[in-house]
Amino acid sequence: MAISQAMCTSFKQELLEGKHNFLASGGNSFKLALYTSSASLGASTTAYSSSNEVSGTNYTATGSALTNVNPTTSGTTAFTDFADLTFSNATVTANGCLIYNDTNSDRAVCVLAFGGDKTSTAGDFTIQFPAADASNAIIRIA
Amino acid sequence: MFSVDVESTIGSVEVKTTQNEGLKPEYWTERIMERLISVSDNADPMVKAQAEAFKETIQTVVLLYMKQAIASDRATVAGLLEKQGHKEMANIIRRL
Repeated sequence: MAISQAMCTSFKQELLEGKHNFLASGGNSFKLALYTSSASLGASTTAYSSSNEVSGTNYTATGSALTNVNPTTSGTTAFTDFADLTFSNATVTANGCLIYNDTNSDRAVCVLAFGGDKTSTAGDFTIQFPAADASNAIIRIA
Repeated sequence: MFSVDVESTIGSVEVKTTQNEGLKPEYWTERIMERLISVSDNADPMVKAQAEAFKETIQTVVLLYMKQAIASDRATVAGLLEKQGHKEMANIIRRL
C-alpha cells in the first residue's frame, strides 16, 4: 500500500478523448480528496474511491472543489493550475491526495504524494500548488 | 513515418498545516504575491530591481489591508455574539 505521485494513465487517454476541460468558466468541476498512508494510489488509478480516504473534523468525504485557472502556454509548453485549497479548522492526517473530475464520472487526473503524513489539529490544512509556469505548474504538456 | 512526442508531467504541491490556529496573514500575502507578480530571472537587472521593489511595496499594502479585513470580520463576529448574549465570547474574539 502506497501513494505514488503520478499523472494517471487513464487521464492521458481521456485528454485525447476530450473528457476533461480545465477552463475556469464553463469547464469541468475538479475535486481534491485526501488519503491516508494505507491507500494504494498511482498511475493506474482511474477514478475517485472512498477507500482509505481520510476522515476527520471539517473534512467531508469526496474532498473539496478546486478552483480552475485557465490553461495557458509558455514557449512550447501548455499548462494549467488550480488555486490553493484549504481545509479550515480541520483535524486530519493525510499522506497524499487525488485530483479528479467531479463533472465527468469522477475520472482520476493525478495522484500527489505529500512525502509523509501531514497533520492539522483544529487548524488549516493547505495544499499549496506550484508556480504556474512551464517548469513547475501542476499539469504540464510539453 | 511521422510521430509527435508529447510529454505530460505534474508538479509537486506543498502542504502547510497548523495546530490550533490558522495560517498567518503573512503566509497568505506571500501566496497572493506569487499569483500576482512574477519577475523573470532573465529580465534586465534594472527592470528586475524595479519589479522587486514594486513587489515589496505591494506586499506591504496587501498585508496591511488583509489585517484590516481580519479585524473588521472579528468586529462583526464579536458584534453578533454580543447581540446574542455571549458577551464573554465576544470579548475573547475582540482580544485576539
